[in-house]
Amino acid sequence: MSGPWVEKYRPNNLEEIVGQDHIVQRLKRYVDEESMPNLMFTGPAGVGKTTTALALAKSVLGDYWRQNFLELNASDARGIDTVRTNIKNFCRLKPVGAPFRIIFLDEVDNMTKDAQHALRREMEMYTKTSSFILSCNYSSKIIDPIQSRCAIFRFAPVKGNHIIKRLEIIAQKEELDIDIKAIESIVYFAEGDLRKAINILQASASVSEKITEESIHEVVSKARPQDVKKMINKALNGDFLGARNILREVMVVQGISGEDMVTQIYQEVSRMAMQDSIDEETYVNLISSISEYDFRIREGANPRIQLEALITKFLSKSRTD
Amino acid sequence: MWTEKYRPKTFDQIVGNLKAKKEIMEWIDCWKENKPQKCLLLVGPPGTGKTTLAHVIASKFSDHVELNASDKRSYDIIMKTIGEASATTSLFNNGQKLIILDEVDGLHGRDDRGGVRAINRIIKEGRHPIIMMANDPYSNRIKGFKSKCKVIPIRKVHTNSITALLKKICVLEGIDFDDAVIKDLAKRSNGDLRSAINDLEVMAQGREKISSNDLDILSQKDNVSNIFDSVRTVLKSKTFRRIKDAMRLEEDPNFVLELITENIPREYEKNYEIEKAYEMISQADLNFGRAFNTRDYTYWRYTFDFMGLGVALAKDETYKKFARYGTSTVYTLLSKSRSKRDLRDKVAAKISERLHTSKKEAISQFPYFETMFQNDETAYELANYFDLEDSEVKLFRSRKIKIKKSKKKKSTNKTQNNKSTPSGLYSTTKSRKSSKNQQENEKSEKSNNKKSKNKDTNTRKTKLKKSAKRDVNTDKKVKQTSLFSFK
Repeated sequence: MSGPWVEKYRPNNLEEIVGQDHIVQRLKRYVDEESMPNLMFTGPAGVGKTTTALALAKSVLGDYWRQNFLELNASDARGIDTVRTNIKNFCRLKPVGAPFRIIFLDEVDNMTKDAQHALRREMEMYTKTSSFILSCNYSSKIIDPIQSRCAIFRFAPVKGNHIIKRLEIIAQKEELDIDIKAIESIVYFAEGDLRKAINILQASASVSEKITEESIHEVVSKARPQDVKKMINKALNGDFLGARNILREVMVVQGISGEDMVTQIYQEVSRMAMQDSIDEETYVNLISSISEYDFRIREGANPRIQLEALITKFLSKSRTD
Repeated sequence: MWTEKYRPKTFDQIVGNLKAKKEIMEWIDCWKENKPQKCLLLVGPPGTGKTTLAHVIASKFSDHVELNASDKRSYDIIMKTIGEASATTSLFNNGQKLIILDEVDGLHGRDDRGGVRAINRIIKEGRHPIIMMANDPYSNRIKGFKSKCKVIPIRKVHTNSITALLKKICVLEGIDFDDAVIKDLAKRSNGDLRSAINDLEVMAQGREKISSNDLDILSQKDNVSNIFDSVRTVLKSKTFRRIKDAMRLEEDPNFVLELITENIPREYEKNYEIEKAYEMISQADLNFGRAFNTRDYTYWRYTFDFMGLGVALAKDETYKKFARYGTSTVYTLLSKSRSKRDLRDKVAAKISERLHTSKKEAISQFPYFETMFQNDETAYELANYFDLEDSEVKLFRSRKIKIKKSKKKKSTNKTQNNKSTPSGLYSTTKSRKSSKNQQENEKSEKSNNKKSKNKDTNTRKTKLKKSAKRDVNTDKKVKQTSLFSFK
């Protein structure tokens, strides 16, 4: 019984965590002192925010970590009601067998502002019994009063050599037939996202006995929906309605998030420039639009509308070939 | 109430809609000759005579029952009211009883639960003539039975017909009038005969003569414009004043933005105009975001300027053409893809729970899972791990997972007790969350864990069997709903 490797090989203690040394060093001090302030982990996906939170909780709370640890996932309902009832009920009880209790809230940037304000009160009221660990992708979306109540840790994308190290350990334990070139290409595609790297590895291992650079490429290109490519081509050919329909299909039906779409568009445009299907000047122009709309997606209300606006920027660019 | 006083009693008195009247008369004749007909669905804007028509039709039958929006219309209530009516038969006219369901597009999702189902059932029984009325022909509520009905569009009443009728009423009421005023009144009503009569009554109250000055006392109703008219004004006009007026709407600004956005490429032909217009849309959305993030809703005013004037000025000059505007395809996509999205979200919820991530992040990893699920063994393990049911596995692979025979034998002994137990692993993560179970000591937790692991594999087995039966129908659907295409 192995299940997903991302869970199987999730580090259980702080020592095992790779690529975030400066953060781990500071967190260890909290373990020694048996006390910690409210923490906020911010950074992109797959860099170890949740893993660090879980590992820290296990280290600080010891054997009784399950009883003293509350995890509220972004997929759980987290309106004001949850904050007011669930969290309050948890905080009110005294810690058992541990110095204090820990509440871990994932993706706080997706909580409504009202819920965040409700949370802010809870964080103040129960400082004696409980500590909060909040994680988010963008700290800018967290209201200031919460930020000022937390020690903020910024997680950077995991560096290539750290990802290689981790993948090699997994490959060894799973007895995989894989060469260093294949691992390097995983690192290239993962872009600092260790979860993605491990998923690519497991996906490749499940389709072929021997993992090579080619099989990695196959897995990754399969995982990259062709729709984005089609959409960009339609836009470059001046067919706005066609491109918009694809965009809506991908975002509404498949549920791809705005951030993921921007990433995919960026990657596709880069690939086109590498293959000389657009010239350098067009590339720079497009990248400047993409960066602008990447920003607007975070500031605006509806990512899909912003992305539709981004596609219009492709309409005036014609291909060189 | 003049609208009641002068409500037509016969077909001849009904103004306009000649074709519709003819069709309805044929429909009645067929019923009279005891030939059952499809049920009628009268669709048209308010005040055009749908309810009047229905009542005139009712007068041709010996007996009728009616349910409108003021009644609660859940499944039970509809079945009780109408079911009773359809079970009892009248002694006259071949025992036909007319069933009138007014404002069917106003069926409420929650309060009128099952209303659509009840209507479908009554239509299916088809023993009695049925008439339904609706305003919005594209309403999702009536989609379910629209195809089973004979749809008769009721059009707006022509201004001249309204003028004539208003004059007739004035004469009957003994009121002196100005031709121009009556004409203006008719025009303002925009084809809504009922509102025209209402307005006339308001103006004429306690007077013997109405003049143009009296028009001012009419409410400002027509200043708040219809949302599609506003969209049309934005896209068709470049006049500052008109656009500012058009943006004075009592609609959800997000909806307005969505509709304008939708129709930009339907009206604007040059790509750089679309680009410019979308720049404005983007700015409008940014201000929504600002309003939302700061909870300072004064930002909304900029939104309206951007999506109104900004978009309007993006065109070189106004187009002289007829463009068909529509609601956003996003809404149709949403309703069409409902089952797909439900499946996606259900699976994402299960996976995100086990992987300590958000649903969004889980979905972004779907493509890799899809590859992993191509391998029978990995697929089996993952399906177990995430506690996915057969129908949910179909999201990742079209074939069924072959189950190893050795494991199948084990499942037979414990089949009874897993109806109530959710998968064990799942429950342990849950228990960690619920505060009640916090005090539970480590020991029981551990033993629990061991037990539940055993159960888990068994649960899966029985689920496989059970769902096999249940999913006979849904399987076919799910096959097509796999989100990513396989190569």
